[in-house]
This record gives sequence, C-alpha cells and structure tokens, in this order.
Amino acid sequence: MDVYPRILSRIWGVPGSHTLAVAEQHGAYNAARKALAMSPAEVTDVVLKSGLRGRGGAGFPTGRKWTFVPPPEKRGGKPVYLLCNADESEPGTFKDRFCMWNDPHQLIEGMIIASHALGVRRAYIYLRGEFEYVQRRLDEALAEAYAKGYLGENIFGSGFSFDLYTHLGAGAYICGEETALISSIEGYKGQPRLKPPFPAVKGVWESPTIVNNVETLAAVPWIIENGWEAYKAIGTEQSPGTKLFSCSGHIMKPGVYEIPLGTPMMDLLNKWCGGLRPGRTLKAIIPGGSSVPVMTPAEVAQANMDYESINKVAGSYLGSGGFIVMDDTTDMVDALTNLLRFYAHESCGQCTPCREGSAWMYNILCRLRDGLATEDDLVALRDLADNIHSRTICFFGASAAMPVQSFVTKFRDEFVARVESARAGLPAGLAVAK
Amino acid sequence: MSHDQKSIHLRDMHGLTVQGPVEWTEEEKAEIAAIVAKYPTQRSAIMPVLWKAQRKWGWLQFEVLKLVAATLSLKPSEVMEVATFYTMFKKEPTGKYLIQACHTLSCALLGADRVIRHIETKLQLDEHGNSPDGKFTLMRVECLAACGSGPMMQINDDFYELLTEQKVDEILDAMAADRPLPVPRPEVDQWTYTPVS
Amino acid sequence: MPLVKVNGIAVEVPPGTNMIEAAKKVGVEIPHYCYHPHLSVAGNCRMCLVDVEAGGRGPDIACNMAATEGLAIRTDTPKVTQMRKSVMEFLLVNHPLDCPICDQSGECRLQDYYMEYGQHDSRLADAKMGKGKRQDIGDQIVLDAERCVQCSRCVRFSDEVTGTGELRLFNRSNQTQIGIFPGVRLSHQYQGNLADICPVGALTLKDFRFKKRVWWLKESESVCGGCATGCNILVHHQENEVYRFTPRRNDEVNKSWICDQGRLSYKDVTSLKRLTGAKVDGQRAELPEAANAAALLLKGAKVGVVFGAKATTEANWAAVKLVRARLPNARAYVIEGNDPDAFTYQDEILVDSDKTPNRFGAALTASQLGSVGDAEALKAALASGEVDALLVLHDDVVGRLGVATPKALVYVGTFKNATSSAAAVVLPAAHYIEQPGTWINRQGRVQRLRKTVAPAGDSVADYAAVDAIGRAFGGAVIPEMPAAIFQELAAGVKALNGLTLKGLGHGGQLITLFAPSPGVDQPGQAAPAK
Repeated sequence: MDVYPRILSRIWGVPGSHTLAVAEQHGAYNAARKALAMSPAEVTDVVLKSGLRGRGGAGFPTGRKWTFVPPPEKRGGKPVYLLCNADESEPGTFKDRFCMWNDPHQLIEGMIIASHALGVRRAYIYLRGEFEYVQRRLDEALAEAYAKGYLGENIFGSGFSFDLYTHLGAGAYICGEETALISSIEGYKGQPRLKPPFPAVKGVWESPTIVNNVETLAAVPWIIENGWEAYKAIGTEQSPGTKLFSCSGHIMKPGVYEIPLGTPMMDLLNKWCGGLRPGRTLKAIIPGGSSVPVMTPAEVAQANMDYESINKVAGSYLGSGGFIVMDDTTDMVDALTNLLRFYAHESCGQCTPCREGSAWMYNILCRLRDGLATEDDLVALRDLADNIHSRTICFFGASAAMPVQSFVTKFRDEFVARVESARAGLPAGLAVAK
Repeated sequence: MSHDQKSIHLRDMHGLTVQGPVEWTEEEKAEIAAIVAKYPTQRSAIMPVLWKAQRKWGWLQFEVLKLVAATLSLKPSEVMEVATFYTMFKKEPTGKYLIQACHTLSCALLGADRVIRHIETKLQLDEHGNSPDGKFTLMRVECLAACGSGPMMQINDDFYELLTEQKVDEILDAMAADRPLPVPRPEVDQWTYTPVS
Repeated sequence: MPLVKVNGIAVEVPPGTNMIEAAKKVGVEIPHYCYHPHLSVAGNCRMCLVDVEAGGRGPDIACNMAATEGLAIRTDTPKVTQMRKSVMEFLLVNHPLDCPICDQSGECRLQDYYMEYGQHDSRLADAKMGKGKRQDIGDQIVLDAERCVQCSRCVRFSDEVTGTGELRLFNRSNQTQIGIFPGVRLSHQYQGNLADICPVGALTLKDFRFKKRVWWLKESESVCGGCATGCNILVHHQENEVYRFTPRRNDEVNKSWICDQGRLSYKDVTSLKRLTGAKVDGQRAELPEAANAAALLLKGAKVGVVFGAKATTEANWAAVKLVRARLPNARAYVIEGNDPDAFTYQDEILVDSDKTPNRFGAALTASQLGSVGDAEALKAALASGEVDALLVLHDDVVGRLGVATPKALVYVGTFKNATSSAAAVVLPAAHYIEQPGTWINRQGRVQRLRKTVAPAGDSVADYAAVDAIGRAFGGAVIPEMPAAIFQELAAGVKALNGLTLKGLGHGGQLITLFAPSPGVDQPGQAAPAK
C-alpha cells in the first residue's frame, strides 16, 4: 500500500477521539482559526482549487457548488443556510456515521469554515432518525465547542458568529436527496422539489442553501490547513483526494477504509477488505451504494476507485462509496429482489412512474424469486425500469431502475433460469438440467 | 357514513389510547419553545416535537397529533401527513423494546434472515411482530447504515451489530429480565478499521 | 416576449409562461393530470413529459418549463408517445377500473388519455391495492381513495384557495393515499370545485352522483346570478332539464371556481317558488291579458319604477324605454340591499355580500331617467302619495322596505315573494339561464346570459315581459332580437358605448363605471353616465 495521509480518519481509533480535548491535541480547530483569518473568497478558492468533490454520491465539485450562492445584493435580504446531509441511508453506506461518531469536531470545524466562506449564520446537521445516538454524541461535541467559544458569537475573535444545530429525521431514505432534506427540515413530508429553483438560489426557508455531505465537510479542515496543492496531489486529476469506502458483504474484513481515489478496485477488495472468504470466488460488486449498476468480476478487475474509471469500465458510479461484495454463494435474483423491496418501500410516492413502478418491479421480482414468473414478466421488468429512469422529479427513479437494468443484463442467465425452472414446474431456484 | 376502516392507515388499535392526559407540562412547554427557537419557522419544529411526543406517550395517537398541531399552530392534517410519511413515527403502540432488524442487502448477505427468524421464534412473535407478553415488538426495517457490521438491529435508540444467534440471545435475555442492557457502544469503534499508512 | 417553438411552430408568449400554456396557443394539447392553471405547479404526474430540442435538457415536464427565448420542445416524437403510454400504464396499476359505477365516467382523464395515449395491453399480474371507497368527507363530496392518481390538485386547492388544508396525501410509496384527518369534514363553501379539479373519479359531487351519464349532457354558457361576482358557469342540461352548474374559466372573474351555493342554485330553476304563470289580482291569466291589466294600472298613475338589480340590463332598458314612451312622469328607484331570503354568507374568495348580479346595470339604466331615488326616497314618496303605482323588476321591494305598497303594483319577476303576493299584476320572468341578456358585475364587467333551456311555464324573458306592457300601451318599446336590444342599449347608455353583444365574447367586457379615486380599489358607487 502506498503511503498517503489519512485525512478523514486521522484520529479514528485514538481513545476519546470524539472529545474536544483529544481532538485538539491532534490539531482540531487550527484550520478554522486559519480560515477565519482568510477572506471568504479565499477559502472558497482553496476548496475550488483542491478539486474536492461532493461525497454524498453525485460527486459534484464542492467549491463550484459554493459559488452558486448569489451575491448578497441578489439575495433579497435572505440569509444563506448550510445544511449538512447526515441522512446516510444508501444501502451499503455507513461512513458518515463513523465520521461523526469518531471525530465530530472535524465535521463541526468543517462547517465553521464552510459557513465562513458562504456567509452562513445558522447551519444544521440533518441526521437520519436512526442516528439518535449519534445526535447525542454530536450534541455533546457542540456543547463543548460552544463552551470554548468555537461556536456562537465572535468565534476566535474574528468577528464571525455562527450557530450550529442538529436535526433528527424519522426514517425516510429519500431525505438524503437535497431538496427532500430541505422539505423535511422545513417540517414537510420529505419529498423532493422541482428544480429550478435550485437550492443554492432558493432552498430551505426560501433562502439560498448549500447542502453538503458529512464526508465532504469533514475534508475541508485538512484542505485549509495543508493547502489545496497537497490535497490535489492525492488521487487522480479528476478525482483528487482520499475517500471513505464503506465495505460490506462477503469479505473478510468489512469496515470503513480511507484510500486515495484511483486505487484499483481489486486492491480495495484484496488489500483492505481482506479478500473474499476462503474458497469462494467473486460474483459481483456494487461499487457505490445500492443504487449504482452492479459490476461483474471482469469489470472489477479493470476498474479503479474513482469517479471516471468506474463509469468508463462498467457504466456504473462511485456514488457514496458503498462497496458491497457478493461472492458465488449469492443468488442474484434474491439479491435484486432484496434491493427492490428497499426502493418500493422508500419511494416518496410523489411521481407516478416511481411510486407505482418501484412496487410493481418488486412484485414481479417476488414472483420471479418464487418461481411464478414468465418470460413476459422478465421483459416487463426491464421495460418498467427503463420507463422509470430519468422520468421523475429526483434521482430516486433512476436509483431504483439502475439495479434492475444492470442485474438483468449482466446476470441474465440467472434470471432466465428462474423463468425456465418455473415453466418446468420445478421448485423456485432449482435449475433446469441442460 | 362513517370513515371506511381502510381509509386511514393511522388507526387507534383496539380502541387503545395513550396513557395519561394528552397535554404538555409547563416544563415541556418551555423545552418546546427552545426547540422552536432553533428554526426560522415554527413549522420546522414539527419533527422534533413529534419525537418528543412519541417519547412521552410511546406512540402517536390521533389526540397526540392534534396536540402537536395545536402546539405549533398547524392543522392536524399537516401533522398527520408528516407522521405517516416517516416510518419511525409510531402509529400504533409497540412493546417496551422495539426491535428494528435490518433486512437489506448487506445484512441479508450475512444472514440477517436467519437471525430475524431466530428472534421471531425465540420471542414467539405473532403476525404483527408482538411477543405474547407485549414486551417486545419486532419490525423488519430497511438499511440502518451499519452494513459493515451486519446482521444488525436497533433496539429502541441503540444499535446492536455483528449479530449471531448467541449474541441475540444474550441481548434479548437481558432485556426480558429488564437487567441493565449490554452497552453496544464500543463495537462501533472496534469496527472503525482503517489501515495506517 | 420570448419566441418559443412547439413541434416546430413558433409562438411568442409572455416570459415565464409554462410550456403547457404555450403549446395550447398553437393548438397542441399536452396531456396532464397534476397541472392546473390556477394552482401551484407540482410536477408529479409526469404525463406532460416532452422532448426538448433546444434551450434545455430533456425529456422534461412542460408544466415546470418556463418559456425562454429559443426554447423548442416536441410532443410528436416516438419517445414522447412512449413516455405517455408508460405513465398511463403506471397510473392504472392500482386503479380499480370501476368505470361502470364511476360518476366521472365520460369526463375522466384516465379514460380520455387511455384512448389517446394509452392503448396498452395489461401486463399486470399482481393484485391491485385496495383503498377506501365511498368515504363521506363533506356535505358535497364523496371520496374514493383507490381511484385517486395522487396528483395533489385537491391538496393544493385546499391549501392555496380555501386555506383550509383538510385534504392530504398520507403515507408514502405506493401506499400513498388521499385522505382527511379522522373526525374532520370539509367545511368550506367551495367543495364542489374539488370534484371539478379531480381529474379522475376520486372526488365526486354528491349532488350529481348517479344522476346522469355526462355524455348525454349539453353544456351551455351562462353566468351565475347568486351574487355580484358574476361567476362564469356552464349549464349542463338534457331535454330541457338542468342537471348541474359547473364553473367556466374566466381568469378575471372566478378563475376556475364557483361557490357551492352558486353551484347548487341550478335547483332554483325547477323550484316550487317559480312564478310560472301571469296573474291578475291573484288569478291566473294569459300574458297579454296581464300586460293589459298592468298598462291600465299604470296609465295616468303617479308611477314609481323600481329598477331590478337582478333583472337583465335589457329589461331595465326596456323599462327606461317604457317610461320615455308611455309614462313620462314616472320616477326611477334603485333599492339597495338584498332580498330577505338571500343567503348571508360572504367571503374574500368569490362570494360577495351583494346578492344581486346586476346592480350596476340597474343603476346605469335608471340614471338615464335623471335622478334615481333610493329606499328612503321611495318610502317617502309612497307615504306622501307622490307615487301611487309601482312597476317592480325582480326585487322584493315589499320584503325589503317592509312598508305597505300601493294596490297598483305590477311585478315582473322569476320567484314568488312578498312583492309578488302583494302585486295586482304578476308577469312571470324566465330564470336567468332561460333567457338571453346581459349583467354588469361588481367589477363593471358586462357579461352575457344565454337561453340554455326553455323558460318554465308561461314565463318569458324579463325584457319581453316589460315590453309586453309597452305593447299593451300600443307598441313595442324595444326591438325583439337580443343583439338589437343591446345595440340600442349600448348606443343609449354612455358607459356602454361601442359595445356589441357579440363583442362581449365568452369572458365579458370591462367598462369604466367609476371615477378613479386614489386609495380605493373597490367599486364604490355607480357614477351617472355623463
């Protein structure tokens, strides 16, 4: 393994890393002090030049997103809000929880710096409902920071005042979508909104709003402290820096790993994840959380863990970095059925294709799994996915469609076999002898 | 014509009502005022106040929704719309221990189904997921962001990870006896596995 | 104004116009469920997905696409056809397809669009979701949740128009269900509009339930006479029987709405309170006979003419002409206020406190005779004997004034009331949907009435009833054809100069009735024509 700095997981594993005292021993809030002495434009410029990309899934350049906030004279007197997306709910993704649990002050510091750059007075961390215990830890960390004067009025004597709050969701995957998150924090159902208007212009409480993922904001202090050049030196040209990968499934050492972007996928699998279980072979990997297209072993062998390579090699995405490994014991029909149950359950119910289609696809898959489906069902399944993708308000429709499209294309034999065994009247899953 | 039973998913199960008067104490009112002050609009406090109500009364009966609506100057329908959208807001009473067991892909790959069936058998759960003594309620839920340490479950506010049948037994036996619960916390740190370069 | 293209046809529209409306301008219909011109854009039904040729990225929804210079969309591509077909398929997945027992049948967008854009074979092999049927959620409305397509129009109407917010989409995913908080009922005066805007059979009007298949009904334009707002309506009728009123879109008057009282007022047409025959001294008479009796009563008497705020402008004009031709010393009166049996409800949405549809028409015409007296003046004149005979158009003068009226009382009206009981001669006037004519609403908008069904019994158009008195005197006072009457009226009344009946169009014409007075945006008092 090459030598590279640990940026996000720097103090993970240090006893008491979540406390202010320990975090400060490791340099917490130095970057905030440095940033508050800089002008907001200078801070944005550093982030822009670092090439940091949003770690929530879309990979949009963070610095550019920040520049979308209208200048003060074009805000109609509205304040700017920063919302931290800690709704982490993409199946296969659990890195943000690690960030907040192990180093809450890194996130707080990142939010202070971002808020200074954006001119934010009040910011919120939106946590998924199940993270109530994480909220408790964050609230303790906030209290420590307030007590020391790192939050509140006139931080570090810079004249910059800033308040930070936590907000708890209550069980809805879709709230990870930024406009749904905005709806939710405003006290509505977490349903995505039409764009335009874009949040940077008119977001939460009708004000300019930037929504950034936990991991994105947590990377900011290091970039400020070490300079954009140092960050850009890690990873690839298009995908600079390190990224946290949440690794799960049929691997020896599941966990969260921080690696430079561009690391070969096989290295992540074999060196960090400890490889497959003894005697097993690889069947498939979902590289970026459950929504992205699945990859075959041949694709895995060629791909690197960055935004461009995965797309080029397999038409898939780096997404949120939820790395789900499936070995040869995996029944792909079962696996897809499992995923579609998730999407059918989590559709916000707004757009017709997604509301009706995700549940319909799940129903077809259940029959397929149970040996009750026909060729027509298989055709319909693929059709429905195509009819949902890109035809809804938000990206959820595509997220429900892409697993179906990729599973039934790349692992077609297994799906056809189910249909054939059903036609032959064999119990579900029992293949027809060739 | 009365309301068709199917018309509303929120229903007062078996005519059950929440315990105690449906009103806030003075202290709670002050706490709610502090919550409201965190946001530019009163409406934004709807979820925190629903959480508060759920902690106090255990679940969100219609009368509770009406109180939350009155508290925040909203219409009951607006509160109900929010309460029914989010799955963690309980529309029915549950046992003292609400077990939310993840059954999404990563956990499923590692045997979540087996673990969940073990819980069902062990607690003799009925078709609604309730144990005979009403102490436990099991819900199969979607991904809780603990994929690397599955199978996992959330009991009330806490995560229990890397479950095996044996581990489930230990946890549930402790809860059945209302003994102090095993503290699940360190496991998260333990699974913060990052190779040092 | 930006120039946009729809299927290659260029059209100029105001900036920000959405592309559904822009396409309408060039005759291209873009199908939709959730979009409604008078509600906010929700963008959830996805039926209006179109291809974007230039000026954006597609496919995208036309309802949320604002016209900008150079924007070009296509609705005629195979892709758009396929998208519409697919949305139809999704919408029908959980729809019960209970068209035979559905009141929306015949005016249902699921039916219409299926014929046009769906036409797919069913490939649904799974059970449909059952949801609540036949829920009584308000005085006027029945809810069938499983017919709902979750377009949220009713939710937005309740939030944005009435502000009552009773209806909500509860739950999520395909469990989403339209509903109302337990124990709550719709309580506002605009419930019927929910049935109108519901594109499917989820919200239907109790009053119309199982009354008639809509394809048998004819629609004719009219204006509601319930108050001074003058909401534009469609009268739905078959074989001379009226089945319902629905609002007719007029962005300047009532948008797409009407109040429930107005909607249900079609029942008045067949009300037992209708005056269906002429009467002389309480005895049924033929119309010419009664007109003769009226002429005899008025001839040489000290006549007061009470112009009718519920009569057509034409009837009031006929009264002016009658006075000029035959009753030179008659005095003109317009009595303020409402009849005693009028509804008292009013609001800021549509319903005016003034329950007369043509107060300005009455005032404008009456003023042609010089000074116009009010209630107090009439009372005084009756008491002093300066007026000893009355010709009353529609208004319940007896009920309003509460004073004894002269024996020589001629009443032209549609409904029985204290005045018709007291009158020596009653000439039955048609209901306003049974005759042509015009009214001038509270804004000063001249709007057109049409004969949608035949007048009940012996009743005739109100202006014809006044003219019958003229004929009894020896000659018609107004022309016979409505357009000719209006031509004369428009020439004779300065505020109406230049208007023609045809020129009023579907939406009416605004006239300048009032001297502009700063700080007052509500019409105050009708200024006499100069």
